[in-house]
Amino acid sequence: MKSRRSLLKAGATTSTALALTPLSLSSTARAYANTSSTMTKKRSVTSNPILVVVELSGGNDGLNTVVPHSDPAYYQHRPTIGIPRNALHSLDEQYGFNKGALGLKRLWDTGDLAVIHGCGYDNPSYSHFSSAAYWHTATPNSGNEYGWLGRLADSLQPTPTPNMLMGIGTAQTLAIKSQVHSPVVFDDPLRFQRNMLSEQRQMLAQLQPSAATSKTHDFMNDVADSAQQASQLVRQAWSQYQPQVDYGVAPMDLPKVAACIAAGLPTQIYHVAFRNNAFDTHVQQPALHQRLLSYACDGLHGFIRELEAMGEAHRVVVLVHSEFGRRVGENANGGTDHGSANLMFLAGQPVTGGHYGTAPDLTKLRADDNLQHTVDFRQVYATAIDAWLAGSQVTGLSNQVLGSRFTRLPIFDTKPNRIAT
Amino acid sequence: MPLCKLVMVLALAAGGLHPGAATAQTQDQPQSQDETVWLENLSPITRQNWNADHAAHLLSRAGFGGTPQDASKLAKLSPKRAVRQLSRGQRSAPTLADFTHSGVFNPGLDPFPSSRPATTNLAKAEGQALGIQVKPSGNRPMQPVVNEFFYWLRASRLETDRVAYWWANRMLHTSAPLQEKTALFWHGHFATNEDKVRDYRKMLQQLNILQNHGLGSFRELLVKVAQDPAMLTFLDAGVNVKDSPNENFAREVMELFTLGVGSYGENDVREAARAFTGWNFQALNFQINQADHDTGSKTLLGKTGNFDGVEVLDLILEQPAAAEFIAGKLYRYFVREELSPTFQVELGQRLQALDYRIGDFLELLLTSKDFYAPLSQGSRIKGPVELVISTYKKMGLTDVPGTPDFNLVTGGLGQRLLHPPTVAGWSHGRSWITPSLLFERGNFVLDLVFPDISFVPPDRYPSYGSEIVNVHKRLRSGLDISNATKPSGTSGEMAASNMLADADEAFNTRYGSYRGWQMAIERVLPIPRHTARLQLTKQVLDAKLTSPEQVISYWVERYFLVAPSAQTQAQLATALEQALGTADIQAAQSYLEEPLRNLLHLLLSLPEYQLG
Repeated sequence: MKSRRSLLKAGATTSTALALTPLSLSSTARAYANTSSTMTKKRSVTSNPILVVVELSGGNDGLNTVVPHSDPAYYQHRPTIGIPRNALHSLDEQYGFNKGALGLKRLWDTGDLAVIHGCGYDNPSYSHFSSAAYWHTATPNSGNEYGWLGRLADSLQPTPTPNMLMGIGTAQTLAIKSQVHSPVVFDDPLRFQRNMLSEQRQMLAQLQPSAATSKTHDFMNDVADSAQQASQLVRQAWSQYQPQVDYGVAPMDLPKVAACIAAGLPTQIYHVAFRNNAFDTHVQQPALHQRLLSYACDGLHGFIRELEAMGEAHRVVVLVHSEFGRRVGENANGGTDHGSANLMFLAGQPVTGGHYGTAPDLTKLRADDNLQHTVDFRQVYATAIDAWLAGSQVTGLSNQVLGSRFTRLPIFDTKPNRIAT
Repeated sequence: MPLCKLVMVLALAAGGLHPGAATAQTQDQPQSQDETVWLENLSPITRQNWNADHAAHLLSRAGFGGTPQDASKLAKLSPKRAVRQLSRGQRSAPTLADFTHSGVFNPGLDPFPSSRPATTNLAKAEGQALGIQVKPSGNRPMQPVVNEFFYWLRASRLETDRVAYWWANRMLHTSAPLQEKTALFWHGHFATNEDKVRDYRKMLQQLNILQNHGLGSFRELLVKVAQDPAMLTFLDAGVNVKDSPNENFAREVMELFTLGVGSYGENDVREAARAFTGWNFQALNFQINQADHDTGSKTLLGKTGNFDGVEVLDLILEQPAAAEFIAGKLYRYFVREELSPTFQVELGQRLQALDYRIGDFLELLLTSKDFYAPLSQGSRIKGPVELVISTYKKMGLTDVPGTPDFNLVTGGLGQRLLHPPTVAGWSHGRSWITPSLLFERGNFVLDLVFPDISFVPPDRYPSYGSEIVNVHKRLRSGLDISNATKPSGTSGEMAASNMLADADEAFNTRYGSYRGWQMAIERVLPIPRHTARLQLTKQVLDAKLTSPEQVISYWVERYFLVAPSAQTQAQLATALEQALGTADIQAAQSYLEEPLRNLLHLLLSLPEYQLG
């Protein structure tokens, strides 16, 4: 298998909309010199579709997010934390949104939200970390060195392309680990720069890199490349960005994504998260869960409305998931333990709003009191890949990325794909 | 040829620059017979083979690095005595100071309700909460309760920052750095986070366990941690009762603390959870509420009996998988990321044979040929805390500077002490490096050599432009609380989280948050904000260095385990000469400091400096 570095060299002449520093300059020196003069601010001409993945880490309680208020079994399983119909944002005769999920309700009302019921996989893991890895790699009860978004990027762009994937956070999620591309990873855009005096900058520009002495060393050089290619673009994007909407109190990192889209970055795949297992609501769940949902859903709603205001809503879709749902029955502490099947959401103007999938039967639980999934979560991935990102360009892209064929859901079928590819 | 000689010959061939350079060069070569023999070989390195380069490697892994002088002193001892000195310290060393409490705790704060709504519900029901009475009448009668709630959130967090500083200084001062390095390992293994625990006293108490028992028996450590209020809070075990066992604690004990995924089943988790029912704490002490404990028979890991929690832990430790899991994790942290499955089984057997005595097991690892094999050296990415403390040690600092702020720097690099991201702790290895974090590592050195004069500690004084500062300014300009706490303007629909913030007439959450902040900074002692006070000129002159080339190679030897290329070093030397206007260091001594600092910043920003 070729290393990313050799691929980089092979694909070094791939042109992008961005002017890069001269190739004769060593990658490390480039990264360290951060030669701003050669980076021209330029609005990208790309109109490629964009996928933003939002991970609600810790296991969001789907049953208390989109509440099946018409189902008596729901209230039997949850005598104290079950939410009565009159305390919900009504959605239809069967369902209502948690009060905190006002953002979802607003997206639902404008037809921009697809709710996919019953998503999961066989032999579910109840470990946060194992299950998250299954979702990140799209390989339940197995594994892959690269993430599903990384492999997706590799299939869309088989040669190394700067700024193809972006993950916002203090560490890189496995979901975006790619064989071909070096993902851009940052937390605070304003700190994404090498601070340096001008004499030092000149000096560094002349330095030849040390030949990599180990795989770890080689890895560092790759990261240095990515840093150089992205940092100034990201900082500029952020400093020029003025939010038009109310994103709420803690909108995850979606305003940063909006800033990058507004600045015309060529990134097609973004990953953000509600971090640190926040949704792991074992104890005293109702007030906490409502608050968490308000943050997440405000952020989601604000993001979509912001894209509309920017005129970019037609080319962005958001996919929302957790590593698992929660146990159907409440526990003795007013909370819920780790569960299995859960909701997923696809949101955005290109989405045909509505219910998809089949809600698991609350009276026919698995032997371990958990929901039996009805939709393989990879069907939703396949839908996002084939019906959204690939457009009419590539057929069967999801086969390539996911390793087998998954039946798509008709989430994009009734709205014409508005991106001319 | 014996390995040590091979290393020395290569080091000489590389211009005698640094042992790391030699190590690096051997890695892409076909493995010599010696190396093959040393890899995964647990027999001890002989005294004859042991040298200052090995000692430097040992210092970096079993501690937080040191100066070349530290390494050569250590090299005079036998490998075993060297490890023992690092784990037990020196008798002559000064006693380490205990943590100084600011005195922020009020008795009414314990037990602290789970949330602001839980606090105000309690106040509504009982007429008081957190030791504060609800006002009998008047505006916002519950406001003082809400203020007290936010006071403690902020005060405990600030005090936790001081605990982290205290620990950082301990890492720098201790003569037994292996204790602190191992405590840092256990802190990532038994991870708890102040954000959820919300009580610096519990965080400190747990840290003391990790420091005092981290090199003892793993069984004792496991029991102590499992019965520790910080852990019980963090994993919701305090509310685990027999009618409805909470599985969170039992699951993490098996998955993350002892066995690892794949060595237990869901049924084992449920049965273990029953055994832990009733485990709770009162203030800072563990207790078992017998009425909540499930005394029925449990079946797990192939055994049946009326097990209690400690018996379950013992049952777990009997599993070979537990010993392999712990041994493998220790190995990856202290030695090398890659190890073969058969070697991991062997390590597990060794740990079990040592009756889980961690100090003895580490001595086995750290004196083994495997530990000194070239592939084990210079192959790890230093963790943020390790990077920062070892930089201070190598610079010869006597305490941790307050500017740059230790917690902000390490947090910005992905490892804020007492705030690990999840119960799984930190991921280590490559996860420490992202494009942004590579820059941050260099920026840390810049802030160290040229202090950031715009620095205002934002943990204590919220940064300009933040919402709480806006509230502050609006209140001072005479706006009433309702208007002062309205979120600053955006048009369009207001977000639910903003609408919910002030939905209750009896109190104002944002005002409480603001007032709580003020109350906290009055009580919490400040972190001293002195800078690093470097004396690079003195170091260079004391070492009698006369040319730029000597300065660079002196620094490479002092700071690096994997040396930058000879060409890079030559270029840096040329740059120093240009900056000085002469190649004569002595002649330039009156204005040496600033060019030296520029150079050191460049040097320590190189990728090679991240390897240890």
